Amino acid sequence: MENLISKKDLLEEANISYGQLYRWKRKNLIPENWFIRKSTFTGQETFFPKEDILLRIEKIKTLKDDLSLDELADMFSPSPTLTSLSAEELTKRNIVSNTALEMFNNVHGPTKTFTFNQILTLYVLNSLLQTGDVNRTEGIDLLKLFDENEQNVKNTGSELIFIRKMGVSFFVLTPEPATLFLEPQAKKIAHYKLSQCMEELKLKLS
Amino acid sequence: MERTQLKNISISGSGTSSGGEYNQVKVNGSAHIYGDLTCEEFKCNGSAHLEGNITTDTAKINGSTHFEGDVKVKEMTINGSTDIDGHLLCEELKVQGSSSIKGDVKGKEIHVRGSASVQGNVSSDEVDVKGQIKIKGDCETESFEARGNFKIDGLLNAGTIDVELLRHCEAKEIGGENITVKKTGDASGLKKLIKFFMSNHTDQLTAEVIEGDNLYLEHTHAEVVRGNTIEIGPGCDIKRIEYKTSLDIDQSAKVGTQEKI
Repeated sequence: MENLISKKDLLEEANISYGQLYRWKRKNLIPENWFIRKSTFTGQETFFPKEDILLRIEKIKTLKDDLSLDELADMFSPSPTLTSLSAEELTKRNIVSNTALEMFNNVHGPTKTFTFNQILTLYVLNSLLQTGDVNRTEGIDLLKLFDENEQNVKNTGSELIFIRKMGVSFFVLTPEPATLFLEPQAKKIAHYKLSQCMEELKLKLS
Repeated sequence: MERTQLKNISISGSGTSSGGEYNQVKVNGSAHIYGDLTCEEFKCNGSAHLEGNITTDTAKINGSTHFEGDVKVKEMTINGSTDIDGHLLCEELKVQGSSSIKGDVKGKEIHVRGSASVQGNVSSDEVDVKGQIKIKGDCETESFEARGNFKIDGLLNAGTIDVELLRHCEAKEIGGENITVKKTGDASGLKKLIKFFMSNHTDQLTAEVIEGDNLYLEHTHAEVVRGNTIEIGPGCDIKRIEYKTSLDIDQSAKVGTQEKI
């Protein structure tokens, strides 16, 4: 079972008021499915996935001075923003590296402008390459995986998991929340929530 | 492509249409429209049945209309009766007659002077009820003002909630910033008359949970009330209160347990 936090504890830990929580819910800054209803001795109570909600509230609090609530909602929403950027723009703004771009172009043929979904693919690939979690061949596998499951990547709420066992590696793309039970020799190298990647990316693009 | 001037349709008597794109659609008798309809102005003084979706700038229903699909409109006035099987997306909605919507209602300003029933959720910037509204889902709005009767089966979530009690109002959960629930003091002729006919109804608000920053409650029955500054007025019956800054309780109120957190 996921680690849950009750509404009352959340308000205290995050230091926000009921009004703020409800306002953010109204503005769709907090997804509906994070409100988990459970029975307790005082009747029904609302619980939240602890890590996700605390992270989200932290983000809202730090960003709300610079962005309006509507802009924030846009950032957190699973639908991609309508942006397309050129390759130069992407490298200039330090969103992806040349290596990632080059790999992408090798697989898909030369591309001049990238859609949001393509940028997301690049962003994830770039991040995996930068951390050294994957090598070039594995990166190509990732591009193919994203290419074949474009629809699933678009309708986020997906998680990407990279597993290696005795030098053999593979990617898993699964709906959120993923629960995987691995055998002892298998090692989870990387674990990405695509919705979070999307948020980071939207922030960089804005 | 050259855009041709849009035509009008006017159905007086009984008639059918297959739908399409028009400038003005006017029904004075009885009409059956079999497809989707796009127009600038839709007006129904008689009875109309539309099998498809409708997109229009203004819609005025003085008679009775049944929309089987979704309704997308900037300004909608319902003086008669309207049934919508799909969702209603509008900027301004005025219900002066009666309406029933199976889907969700999304709008900027929703005024109910008659009666409205919604099976889905309602979201808007402003909801103003001076008649009666029933919502099966949640109601999310910046300002919720009620001088009438409401029943919300889900969550009522609003920045400002201002309720003047008339008969029995009900919501499963209420959450917001400023919540005020008052019983009207002045008994105007109309209210006296309503009371005379509805004598078995008491002016009362019932909710399971009420949470907010600043609360003032009168004649409210709730399991739990939580907030920063809470003032409990006369006629309340509350099982449990959790407060942060201050709590004031009227002598005639009934309160189970109270806790400062």
